Amino acid sequence: MSWITAVWSMNAAACLTFAGFYFVVWCKQRQNLVYLFFSCSATAAAAISAFELWMLNSTTVEQYELLVRWIHVPTFVLTVSFVAFVRLYLRAGRAWLAWSIYSLRTLVLILNFIFAVSINFTAITNIRQFSWGGQLVSVPVGTRSPWGLLSSVSLLLLLIFSVDATITVWRRGDRRRALLIGGSMIFGAVLAWHVPLVIWGILEVPFFLGFTYTAIVAVMGYELSNDVARAAGLARELEVSEKRLNLAAESANLGMWEWDIVHDEIWITEKGRAMFGFAPSEKLDFDRFRSSVHPEDRALVLQAVENVLQTGAEYRSEYRVLLPDGQVRWIDGRGHVEFNGAGQPARMRGASLDITKRKQAELEAARHRTEMAHLSRVTTAGELSGSLAHELNRPLGAILSNAQAAQRMLANGGVDVAEFREILNDIVSENKHAAEVIRRLRLWLQKGEVQQHSLHINKVVRDVLKLIRTDLISQNVSVDTELARNLPTVTGDPVQLQQVLVNLVVNACDAMADCDTRERRLRIRTGLEKGGDAVIVSVTDRGGGIQVKEVEQIFEPFFTTKAKGMGLGLSVCRTIIGAHRGKLWATNNAERGATFHFTLLKDASAKEVLIT
Amino acid sequence: MSSPLGPTVFIVDDYAPGRRSISRLLRTAGFAVTACASAKEFLAQYDPETSGCLVLDLAMPAVSGLELQNILAERGSLLPIIFLTAHGDVPKSVQAMKRGATDFLTKPVNDEDLLAAVRVAIEKHRALRREQAELSEIRARLATLTPREREVLEYVVAGKLNKQIAAELGTVEQTVKIHRAHVMQKMRAQSVAELVRLTQRCGIGGSV
Repeated sequence: MSWITAVWSMNAAACLTFAGFYFVVWCKQRQNLVYLFFSCSATAAAAISAFELWMLNSTTVEQYELLVRWIHVPTFVLTVSFVAFVRLYLRAGRAWLAWSIYSLRTLVLILNFIFAVSINFTAITNIRQFSWGGQLVSVPVGTRSPWGLLSSVSLLLLLIFSVDATITVWRRGDRRRALLIGGSMIFGAVLAWHVPLVIWGILEVPFFLGFTYTAIVAVMGYELSNDVARAAGLARELEVSEKRLNLAAESANLGMWEWDIVHDEIWITEKGRAMFGFAPSEKLDFDRFRSSVHPEDRALVLQAVENVLQTGAEYRSEYRVLLPDGQVRWIDGRGHVEFNGAGQPARMRGASLDITKRKQAELEAARHRTEMAHLSRVTTAGELSGSLAHELNRPLGAILSNAQAAQRMLANGGVDVAEFREILNDIVSENKHAAEVIRRLRLWLQKGEVQQHSLHINKVVRDVLKLIRTDLISQNVSVDTELARNLPTVTGDPVQLQQVLVNLVVNACDAMADCDTRERRLRIRTGLEKGGDAVIVSVTDRGGGIQVKEVEQIFEPFFTTKAKGMGLGLSVCRTIIGAHRGKLWATNNAERGATFHFTLLKDASAKEVLIT
Repeated sequence: MSSPLGPTVFIVDDYAPGRRSISRLLRTAGFAVTACASAKEFLAQYDPETSGCLVLDLAMPAVSGLELQNILAERGSLLPIIFLTAHGDVPKSVQAMKRGATDFLTKPVNDEDLLAAVRVAIEKHRALRREQAELSEIRARLATLTPREREVLEYVVAGKLNKQIAAELGTVEQTVKIHRAHVMQKMRAQSVAELVRLTQRCGIGGSV
């Protein structure tokens, strides 16, 4: 066997090997057309090598004519798939150049089969054999067709295309790729010029178009296998990082989940299944998830999910799940939504954290706070019991006296209808008055849950002044109120806020107990804080001021300056205001006495805080 | 509304429904009633000559019940005060009673209790006024005595005999007898016992 046969066959085999390998790769990753184009161009290069070998060994004109015509098929495939590959893989090369090459090459192929013999020759008259490298090789001798120029033009365009693409890649900063791939491309495109030169009889070498491409194939094969190796590495890293993530999720008690919204399927880790009380192999959809949520929290969760699907915001929701055994578990769910090309929500991914313990601690703390506040209210009510009895006995006294007056009128026989009507009117209104006092007292002593109402602070101030009116009178304290108009509403528990004010007012009265009667003036002010985000309330007395080194000290539990005080009032007040996301502080006045201030976020700001 | 003929019950209470109901009750029971919303209003129209009593609310803004009681005492008023309060504050009630309040009632007050207290108070006022009138009459009689007759009077009510008095004053028994007759006449006393009673009410006698 001649060495030419051996080398050309080996070249074809090498190209085919690459082609086959990348064809298999493409089969596994259909969307990655790069592999297909590469495989096609490598196959075509193998075919060209085979054709060339055949031509070099050809001895008859007829055979040569046939080969010269059909070699244009793999050449077409090679050119087209190579250009497509370059554009896709390197993301370089001008579109108009590429399309010019495609169309020119197609035109060449069509003309090649229309004209006699091929696009290069109108007729092959003879086969010239010469010795090359110790082997006899055949080249055609015949009449050249002018259309053959088209083929050369397409070769020129290919060269320009290659140079242009290489420059683009180089400028992009990917110099290694530009040198390797671009260099091999230009090298191949230049070497390909031996074909017209041989046909024109200028050069005396065997056709080796197949080899010009081998270099390119080899370089690209190297690049692609780099990519494949990198992909394999990434896959391995991904696997490791997934393991790490799972480990972290496991140890953090996280349940990871993914909801395919289009097909309504939910995937969730084992941990997550246990968390929600799902069976290990149970098929999950959104309805099943919904049914696991505590009935009281379902609306809340649905609203959160809907909001996320509509706005694309991050998902965050704290809710309870009701396990099959009746146990309640608190979940902190977080996640985000992904949209498809059409802007429709496609999937949600996220994690759920079991926060039962934290929530229980929070609830416990809140319960303690509520109990403390209640205890303090009961204590205050005890201190105010005189006032309360007074408030209640006054209307009761009026009712009794009115009713007994009426009885006497009846007994006397002289019934004045107008007077009777007045008596009954008084009885009715006094009864309502008494009922109102009892209602206020009951609210005050109630140990109910903390309410969140939108309320006007000025009303709280007025209610408090009603509640402790008698105490103020009996201590000869007069009250000046400066209540700002048009204040925004605040969110809070009306009873607890009343409690804070009662404490501050009672303290202020106590502070002024030793003052001259005319000096016992208390001022309550409401207004908007400087920034405008909060409402501020201040209670000013004209007593002796705060006589401790650190004003803050008075807010500590069990700190008291009163003989009978427990020292809980102010610390409870601060806890209450803190729970309302406000601040409570005290200052000594420039002239005399002290002022206690507290702020409460206005409604809109409070809502913002709750959401973030 | 005060009647110059019968006694008048004054009511001072800042709480209008309470004031109205007590007024009605007392009026139905046949009393003349004058109701005031504050101590100031009461003082502006109160005539010390009017007989009756005062039903006074303890806890009032500005001038409290106890303060009004003080003001009246400083003016030498004899008007009996019945305190009426919605809350029985022990220290305050003690204070009120010490300063001579007739009664201390808590709201809601039963009609019988209130009426009884009012009747007692009115009667007390009447008695006090009568006593005061008698006292001023006795003082007027005492004022007519000469210094010598006054000395003799003091010895007489101290239980001394004419002879002893004469010895004390350094005079004769006859002179003492004449002074004594003048004293009995000016004091309009029928007996020594009556003289002793009269002078005792003015705080004279017993310790010479």
